[in-house]
Amino acid sequence: MSRLSPHPLLAAALCILACAAPAPRHGVSLEPPIPRPTFTLTDTRGKAYDFARETRGRLTFLFFGYTNCPDVCPVHVSNVAAVLHKLSFEDQQRSAFVFVTVDPARDSLPAVRAWLDHFDKTFVGLRGDAALVDSLMGTLGLPPAIRAAPTEPNGWYEVGHAAPVIVFTADDVARVMYPFGTRQLDWAEDIPRLLKVGR
Amino acid sequence: MLALAIAFGVLARRGRAMGESRLAFWAGWTAVGLVWQSLDWPIGPLAAGYLASAHAVQFLTLALAAPPLLLLAVRKPLAAAVPTAGRGHAVAMFLTQPIIAGVLFNLITITTHVPSVVDRFMPSQLGAFAIDALWFAGGLVLWWPLVVGAPQRAWFSPPVRMLYLFMATLVHTGIAMVMLISRFPMYGIYELAPPWEVWSPLEDQHLAGGVMELAGAAIIFGILTVMFFRWSGGVAGDNAPKAPPRD
Repeated sequence: MSRLSPHPLLAAALCILACAAPAPRHGVSLEPPIPRPTFTLTDTRGKAYDFARETRGRLTFLFFGYTNCPDVCPVHVSNVAAVLHKLSFEDQQRSAFVFVTVDPARDSLPAVRAWLDHFDKTFVGLRGDAALVDSLMGTLGLPPAIRAAPTEPNGWYEVGHAAPVIVFTADDVARVMYPFGTRQLDWAEDIPRLLKVGR
Repeated sequence: MLALAIAFGVLARRGRAMGESRLAFWAGWTAVGLVWQSLDWPIGPLAAGYLASAHAVQFLTLALAAPPLLLLAVRKPLAAAVPTAGRGHAVAMFLTQPIIAGVLFNLITITTHVPSVVDRFMPSQLGAFAIDALWFAGGLVLWWPLVVGAPQRAWFSPPVRMLYLFMATLVHTGIAMVMLISRFPMYGIYELAPPWEVWSPLEDQHLAGGVMELAGAAIIFGILTVMFFRWSGGVAGDNAPKAPPRD
């Protein structure tokens, strides 16, 4: 009785083809890819949050913004949240959204928590020294935030900041980031693909 | 808006002089008010870049509610202005042909609800104005055969008129249904607009679909009901036994 025994190289090639995750269709490709950074900031419970350790092996959405942001931050975050809510429970457990405030002077930990709770109670909010956050952004290839002088009598001011969502896949590498303007449909198409990367 | 009000005012005065009722006159001015209200604050700016539901209200007002009221007040002068012979008559016959009018209205409705068209046109004032103007023009074209009815067509009887109105407004119901069942926001301009605290872009889109569906149906079926009872009343009157002539 003969048994089908494929050539080892052919089997390997087939496996690579079968296992290759489909590439995301939207966003901006990062060349070279960015490894998952190692940093520790304070989370909204007031505890140290080791980003690399807490998010390792999970699809991680990293976003820098501030809670007084009038438009870009809430729209961008809510669009990711809307699509994450439509994922299966298992896929939601394999995903993490981490928000780092670029405006620590105004964004207290409770303020960050309250703001994130509008979108999702599981979203992680981090706060740290402005210089530390700026240098972290630099390691990710983002320009530092620009904190303008107060323009309103009540002391309100805007913070200029890069607003892409950087996505780290399960293999702890970011190959793509999503600028403001990414639609929910785009996320809905890419997130399932990104969940397959590195598994 | 001012040009519309002036043009309407002139025609409406002429209509009154030709025996148009006071009710029709004021219905026309109500339509002018509706158009103004849908283009001005708050509906206008909200529709232009914030809320799909406000945009749906604008569509209903400009395409379905205002045109019949406006035409009602000026139908006599408009009918009198339609050429009765020659090339002008042929052109008028073609443009007011119910099938042409229905197709044109639906083409406008479909085109102006395609997401890529909305996202391209709505961010600019001129683009938003073009869409509003198209809706209003499409509404006038749709309602002309029913309200003005000139040039007259023998085959366009009351039952056919009701069928025309029902068929011509089916497409917008379909669009509303797509908006209602969509799992994601269809229009980037509303999805990426500064956040509205009360509801999300998807909820706003569902509301827009609901408004188009329900308010649109209320307008259309309200008018169909009136048309039906007028027609059935007329038929009953025609069939009523005639009183014997007095000696």
